This record gives sequence, C-alpha cells and structure tokens, in this order.
Amino acid sequence: MNAILAIAHKDLKLLLRDKTGFFFTFFFPIIIAVFFGSIFSDNGGKPVGLHVMIVDNDQSVASEAFIAQLEASDEVSVQRSLKEEAVERVRLGKEVAYIEIKKGFGDAQERMFWGAPPEIELGIDPARRGTAGMLQGILMKYGVNAFQKRFSDPSLMRRSIQDSLDGIQSGSTMDDSRREHLTGFLTELDAYLDQPTPNVDGTGSGNGGFGGMNPLVVTARDVALEKRGPQSGYAISFPQGIMWGIIGCAASFGVSLVIERTRGTLMRLRTAPIDQLHILGGKALACFVTTCVLAAGTLGIAMLFFGIRPNSLVLLGISIISISFEFVGIMMLLSVLGRTERSAAGIGWAVLMMMSMIGGGMLPLFIMPEWMQTVSDISPVKWAMIAMEGSIWRQFSLNELLVPWMVLWGIGSVGFLSGVWMFRRSRSE
Amino acid sequence: MIALMNVTKSFGKTVAVDDLSLRIEPGEIFGLLGPNGAGKSTSINMTVGLLNPDKGRIAIGDGGSPHDPAVREQLGIAPQALALYDELTAMENLRFFGKIQKMPSGVLKDRVPELLCKIGLWDRRNDRIKTYSGGMKRRLNLAVALIHHPRIVLLDEPTAGVDPQSRHALFESIGELRRDGVTVLLTTHYMEEAEKLSSRVGIMDKGRLLALGRVSDLIASHGGKSRLYAQRADREFFLETDDPMAELVGLQAGGTLLQFKVESPDLEHVFLNLTGRNLRD
Repeated sequence: MNAILAIAHKDLKLLLRDKTGFFFTFFFPIIIAVFFGSIFSDNGGKPVGLHVMIVDNDQSVASEAFIAQLEASDEVSVQRSLKEEAVERVRLGKEVAYIEIKKGFGDAQERMFWGAPPEIELGIDPARRGTAGMLQGILMKYGVNAFQKRFSDPSLMRRSIQDSLDGIQSGSTMDDSRREHLTGFLTELDAYLDQPTPNVDGTGSGNGGFGGMNPLVVTARDVALEKRGPQSGYAISFPQGIMWGIIGCAASFGVSLVIERTRGTLMRLRTAPIDQLHILGGKALACFVTTCVLAAGTLGIAMLFFGIRPNSLVLLGISIISISFEFVGIMMLLSVLGRTERSAAGIGWAVLMMMSMIGGGMLPLFIMPEWMQTVSDISPVKWAMIAMEGSIWRQFSLNELLVPWMVLWGIGSVGFLSGVWMFRRSRSE
Repeated sequence: MIALMNVTKSFGKTVAVDDLSLRIEPGEIFGLLGPNGAGKSTSINMTVGLLNPDKGRIAIGDGGSPHDPAVREQLGIAPQALALYDELTAMENLRFFGKIQKMPSGVLKDRVPELLCKIGLWDRRNDRIKTYSGGMKRRLNLAVALIHHPRIVLLDEPTAGVDPQSRHALFESIGELRRDGVTVLLTTHYMEEAEKLSSRVGIMDKGRLLALGRVSDLIASHGGKSRLYAQRADREFFLETDDPMAELVGLQAGGTLLQFKVESPDLEHVFLNLTGRNLRD
C-alpha cells in the first residue's frame, strides 16, 4: 500500500508542477463550462431562442404586431434588417435564417375569407435545415394567433366580415355562383355574431363571437425542471466541461505511463521489489484523485457562482466517484496500448474523441439517427453524462441512477483488469 | 552472484542474445564490452527480470529468480536512459525511489543526504533536476541505483555522454562499490572504462559472447603482438613483436636509437582480432 501511495503522491506532485498540464486539467474545463454556459444563457439565466433576421416589407399595423409577438417570444430573438443584408448574412452562415414579411401581409390578414393568404418567406441556411421545421412551426403558431384573436373578438370579426363582403361585391374575378354562396355565408355569420354565446367552459354568457375559441391548447413544460423551475445553461455546460476535463485527465495519465516507459523510470519501478499491480494502482489512484478533485472543484464553482443546485449532493458524489472509476479503468487500458508518447497520445485522443462523439459529448444525441442513438449505448461518455446530468438537473432518483452507475463500474472494471493483464503480459515480450 | 545459463533472446527474426553463459562471482566487477547493438542491454534487462529469455535460465544471489521480490530487493539498476523525474528535485527522486524499495522513512532521512554528499549534489539537492547538467543527472542516476544498499548492481553504460569530471566521479563511486564488496555488472562500449573498472570482461558482438576472462589474459590471448616503432640514424623500424624490450636491445646494438615507441595491445585490439572490426564501428 505504501508503494501505491508513493507512486500516486509522486504523480500528483508531477501534475502540480507541470503548469500547462495543471491549467488544462483544472481550469480549462471551467473556462469551457462558463463560456458555453454564457452563450446558451441570457442575463436572466433563461435559455435564449434562435436568433433570426426579420425583414418587414409590409410596414403595416399587422406586420408590426406580428414582429412584436416574435420579439416577445422565448423561442426566437429577432433583429430587423433589410432583405439584401439578411440574405447575405444567412448565405455567409452568420445567421441561421431570415423571415421576410411580404407586402400585403396586413391586407391579407384583414380579408379572412377570400383572396391570397398572408405570406411570409423563410430563408434558411442550408447547413441548418433541421431548424427550418422548427421555425416554420413557430411562425405558424404566431400566424394562427392573429386569426384566433380575430375569431374570439366579435368587433374585429364583424369588421373582417364587412371588409370581406365589400371586397366580394367589388371583386371582378369571382364567379357569380361563388359570390352568392360566400355572401350568404358571411351574412349568416354576421347575424350569428349578434347572439350572445356561452364561454368556452360552458358557464355564463360570453360577449358574442366564438366565445374565446381556441382550436388547440399546447402547454410546454420543462419536465426535468418541474421541481425547481428552470436552471441556467450552466447546468448543461458544467457537466460537459467536467466531462471534457475528465477525458483530458484520463488521456494525460495514460500517456504518463508511456513516458515512464520511454524515459526508463518504469524500468526502475518494475525492478523494485513491488508487485506490478502496485505500479498501476499508484497511477490509478492519482488519476482517480485528480478526476474527483476536478469534478468536485468545478461543481463547487458552479454551485457558488453560477447558481447550480444539484438535487442530491450524495447522489452527485456517487456519480462523480463512479465516473472517475470508469475513466481510471479506461486510462489503464489506453496506457498499455501505446508504445511511444506520440502513439499513446494519438490512441488516447482518438478513442476518447470517438467515445465522446457517439456518446453525446460533442453533438446532442437527439440529432443523431436512431441507429446511432442505439450505438451510443456502448460509449462510456454517454453513461457518464446520464449519471452526471441525472444527479444535477434531471432529478433522477436513486433507482434511476443505479443502472448508469453499474454500467460505469462495469466499464471501469473491464478497462482496469484488461490494462493490468496487458501490463503483466508485456513483461515477457 | 549472477549466473546466466545458455540464455537466448530474440525479437522477431533478430537474435539479440545468442546462447549466453556467464557467471559473476560475489564482489566482482564484471564488464560486458561490445559495440551498440551487441546485446548488452538485452542481457541486463533479462538479468533484472524485465525480459524473459526465450531459452536458458538466470539465477541471482543464492540461485533465485529475478522475478522474486526478495531477490529484487538485492538488485540496484542504473539504466542507460536517465531514469529520473525531471520535475522532481534530487532529494525527491531519491526519497521516492527509496520508498519504492521499501526503505523506512527513518533510514531514508539519513541515507538521502549521505548519497547526495557522495555524488557532489548536496548543494543542488532542492533544485529540479531538469536544471542539471548531463553529468549531474548521470551521477544521480547511479545514486538512485544505490539508495537501498543493494548487494548486486547493474550499470548500463554508466558514463555515457558525461564530461571528464563526472566520469571521474562515477569511477570513484564504482571503485567504492568494489571496496564494499558489491557485485557489479556493467556494460560499456568504452574499452578504457572496462579495463579500468572490471576485474573480468566479457566481449559481446551480435548477441554472442566472443571471449571471457581477465583483461590481461584476454589481451595476452587475443590482443596480438606489441607494435614497436624505432628510429636510428641510418633507418626507421616498425616491428610487431612479443618481446619489445629484447627487440630494442638488439636495435640499440646496431646503432644509437634516436627515438622509439612501443604500442602494447589493448581490448580494442582484442575486439579487432576477434571480430575483424573496431569497437566503435
């Protein structure tokens, strides 16, 4: 045990004296977390929506009201612009999309029952097609809002009917039969609006019209945050920052064993009267302590300065220990695969980057194809992220965390045992 | 005692050590001489148990295996590479390797300063060794091998790339090991180092042990004749002879010698005669 402690103490001392390594191990993850956390959060700590350019070619009361709705929304943040500038910025990839309100938007909204509908053009960056559907949905929502408001307000509705009747009478392009039917329908509708109607809940008496008609009510709720309300983007960026720190830590310690081999110090350790397991145990202990300190320290900063409030410190502590164990095991395996510092570093980063990519550490899992999401189950990063996020903001219970913890310990054990086996085997080469 | 019995080790198709047999007695300083790639370091690595021989057997001390921790406690090794931690001080390096050798803290407290004084690094004890010269690191490399008072020390090219001052200090340290009765196996490709330090020498080339014995015996049997150059007023002489003194007396009888020079055979000649090429080729 003394040999393990001596080796761990020596490795930690070496880490602390390597200023660059120390910075990238302990401070870089915090910088990543703060940087991305600030990008994904506004000043109030609430998530920021898509930023889009908006071009108002109608300059009407209706178009202004439509823009005001968008400006007040959480889903998008808009910036007014001329069309040429908007198109250019999207083409250059500086903006996700632009929205052009076509001329005649307001008039078209007024005449609800005939003529061309109000028109909006959505210009989207081809590289961000995934957001096009989302934006269309948002625009439809606010477009429908205008109609809904009109339907539920008898005076506005009556004005629309009257405008439509005037338009139908003066319109020359409509055939007589259609004009007759539409005139009859609108006259009946106008008469209907004179009658008091019950409210939508069936009680009392409304003030006419369609009684606050609402075709569909959709209430959005952040299910993971329902107990505490919304947290900031830092709740997402800090676990990712910690993850990257732990990955870097595992890669560094993996390379350190190869450095010992190439510099000859491993020869001294292997010829000392200690078991081979002590050598690896010392390295593993140093890596474990470093990752735990890194995670705990970074989370401490997140809690002190960025308002992160984990559901349970005990569950979070167990998650951190489990994640550290997992990556110590992976480090053990990586450390025996490389023969030179360069090859070990290359293998380490290639493997860890791949794990991170397919595990959701770089790209969100939800944008990946379904088969890829299934494949991601083999990535240790995925399980580490589940355990960490589950303990910090997904509000996982003890039972829900048991599965990721067991996977983490399983991967760590397999990595550690494989590393020990290969290390022992390398003696006889 | 170190005994290698018919030891063979190959890496792929390359035979690094071919049927090597030698026995080093307690208290002896044995030099393994040969050019780079002769198989010296592979032999050392097998002796300390870092490599397993493909054939043959190795016995250390009272016949123990180098894999036995009790045997390894008796071994000290100074690898050819400077096997030290650059970011640690000399003191910290010695303390760390002492702990790895299971030395109690109380013993280390006295042993570390003792060794630092002996190798002339006491004044620099708290400096990180990345600031040391090559010679200082080489001395510390040897000190680490000796931290736990080993009875058997293996030195792989102990003076490689050091300045004359550090070389002298290293020779002093190895001389002290002889006086303390420590068994030493050293590898080198410097023949003067082997001649000066070793009581017996083995000459290796291409994995094979070509000759083994006392330096004087090897020179006598494989070194060839002495070379005599002499100049008299009437002519010059260049002779190869077993008895240069007798030749000089004969030449003097024929006329007054203006100058002469006798070149005795050394291990370089031994190696040349055994392999047909120079040691540093």
